[in-house]
Amino acid sequence: MQKVELLAPAGDIEKLKFAYLYGADAVYCSGKRFGLRANANNFTLEEIKEATKIAHDLNKKIYITVNIIFHEEELEGLEAYLLDLSEIGIDAIIASDIHVIKKAKSLNCSFEVHISTQASVLNAEAALFYKNLGVTRLVLAREASLSDIEDIKKKTGLELECFIHGAMCTSFSGRCVLSNYCTNRDSNRGGCAQICRWTFDYPESTIPFSMTPKDLNLVEYIEKMINVGVNSFKVEGRMRGIYYIATVILVYRRLIDKIKEKSLTKQEVKYYLSILNRCANRESTPQFINKLPTNEEQYFLGRDEVSNQDFLGMVLDYDEKTNIVTIEQRNYFEKGTEVEFFGPKIETFSYKVNKIYNEKMEEIEVANHPQMIIKLEIKQKVNKYDMMRLKVFDKQNFL
Amino acid sequence: MLVKEKMKNKYLLAVTKDLLELKVKNLNFLFPIEGYSVGFQDVFKISEIKTEEAYLYINRTLDKESSSSLKEKLKNLSQNIVGIGFNDLGLISIAKELNLQVKLIYMNNHNTTNKASINDYLEYVDSVLISTDITEEEIKTILTEAKKPLVLPYFGMVEVMCSRRRLLTNFQTEFGLELKNEQVLFENISKNPFHIVENEYGTVFYKDTFLDYRNIEHEKIEFYYINGLNLTKEDIIKIINKEKIEKTESGFLNKKTYYRLKEMNECKK
Repeated sequence: MQKVELLAPAGDIEKLKFAYLYGADAVYCSGKRFGLRANANNFTLEEIKEATKIAHDLNKKIYITVNIIFHEEELEGLEAYLLDLSEIGIDAIIASDIHVIKKAKSLNCSFEVHISTQASVLNAEAALFYKNLGVTRLVLAREASLSDIEDIKKKTGLELECFIHGAMCTSFSGRCVLSNYCTNRDSNRGGCAQICRWTFDYPESTIPFSMTPKDLNLVEYIEKMINVGVNSFKVEGRMRGIYYIATVILVYRRLIDKIKEKSLTKQEVKYYLSILNRCANRESTPQFINKLPTNEEQYFLGRDEVSNQDFLGMVLDYDEKTNIVTIEQRNYFEKGTEVEFFGPKIETFSYKVNKIYNEKMEEIEVANHPQMIIKLEIKQKVNKYDMMRLKVFDKQNFL
Repeated sequence: MLVKEKMKNKYLLAVTKDLLELKVKNLNFLFPIEGYSVGFQDVFKISEIKTEEAYLYINRTLDKESSSSLKEKLKNLSQNIVGIGFNDLGLISIAKELNLQVKLIYMNNHNTTNKASINDYLEYVDSVLISTDITEEEIKTILTEAKKPLVLPYFGMVEVMCSRRRLLTNFQTEFGLELKNEQVLFENISKNPFHIVENEYGTVFYKDTFLDYRNIEHEKIEFYYINGLNLTKEDIIKIINKEKIEKTESGFLNKKTYYRLKEMNECKK
């Protein structure tokens, strides 16, 4: 089986560290300029330098998005920025504007150039156009079917990267400027106001028109995608928090590893799907991979969801002699709460909270202050940065 | 109604069936092609196009199946087909493979927003449609610096969104409404009207006003592009004669867009 990469989003250094820790082979992030999440924290050049060192020390990769569609005013500074990234030694940029690609090539930058999903590549001929420009990898359009992917791979031999999880644009990426017209915020330079999540008056109905897609989730198709030649499996969500990153990346890490070992069962797939849906708190579907999405793959009348508080705490320390785990609280829990611990080096396990202690080892009834330090007694070893969540699903019920 | 004699500009008109009878000097028809175009109810089979100096309009984002079948259809084009306006860069590879001797015009409206990128595209195509997402000043810079003559968006409804999904059908199916593939909807907050056209290959949102760039003149404009959707023959003559048409707007000609909230807030102050 070919080597496959699990690629995680990172909105800041902390998220990047968690992404690597929980199993990502590579992360993608953006500098302060030229990325399509203009209002995220993003990385300064110094932070990109630090992030690149972290990545390479771990023998992992880092890609920087330079994927806006440039207007005249952004052209200034592009060359210097690309040279800076080249000097820092990032592994690749993700670009969509032809000028960025050609500029990077003409400057002999040390990094590779990947084509952003913003370019909406769906066919081998478009892929060949980019291959001739010297790009090494395509991030395919989210509209790609398995058959499209297979054909592009066969005819181009390029590395292929596909989104497998997260929010979807309603439009082909790059072909939407609704935000420009409704809010004066340029979607193709990172200002998208997500107008496709808003509602519209429909003349013959009191029900407002809406077109929000459910999230993308390709858990059930990973093996097939590996078999048709996908090299990199990408998770969306640079604005998401560490709990989301850790949960999603760990699920896909385990999934890919089990596929490699040929030990993945249908029951495990169902379990992973439940975990992912609960974590995102939104419904998800395979979208375009096997058919044209219908009304079943969209939300109407808003989404039936409430924000969950499943993330209960982060492990700061575990004392093997006393079996005492120190936890930083993230959401309310109390004595009697059924929880789960999960992390990159442990098998997920359940635990019923019988006693809670404060920092002075005094017994308390509830953990009700954000980031308060509490202690629990647990026989099973956990590690720093493992996470504790509310137990919602019992894996045994899926097996 | 007649076109004034002095007109010497060349126009490229995305044509509908109602506009086919137009006889205007220097007006070339751009035919949305059946199976390969979105956003138009009137589409044309390549084999049925008999107009002289006709251009094909292929604005779908092509997938494996459509790019493969398109390749077959573009073999042995008749001599009256002189050009292709297209959105998907795969067309460049297809044209090269088939050795097509036609003019290639890259018409991805949201991708042609600066002089450097346009000049890069011009290494592979004969002309490029300038974006409607930029200011007049930026358009003029592009025109001045372009290596080859360009296509100016001159008049008509602008595509502001294109989805592979059948968004009208999906909504109508969900709520048991009558199936209609064309509709005007108003966004609820900004109250902007959008004209929506759907076919089996996807859904296009147009701003339901006519973008009017008729004040822009430049020696490096090869074609003045008119989207004929929802326009009559009389309208086209008026457009060329620079006479008044209702429901026009100047888009972003005099209005910069922003993308960082901070900048936008500073601008509002």
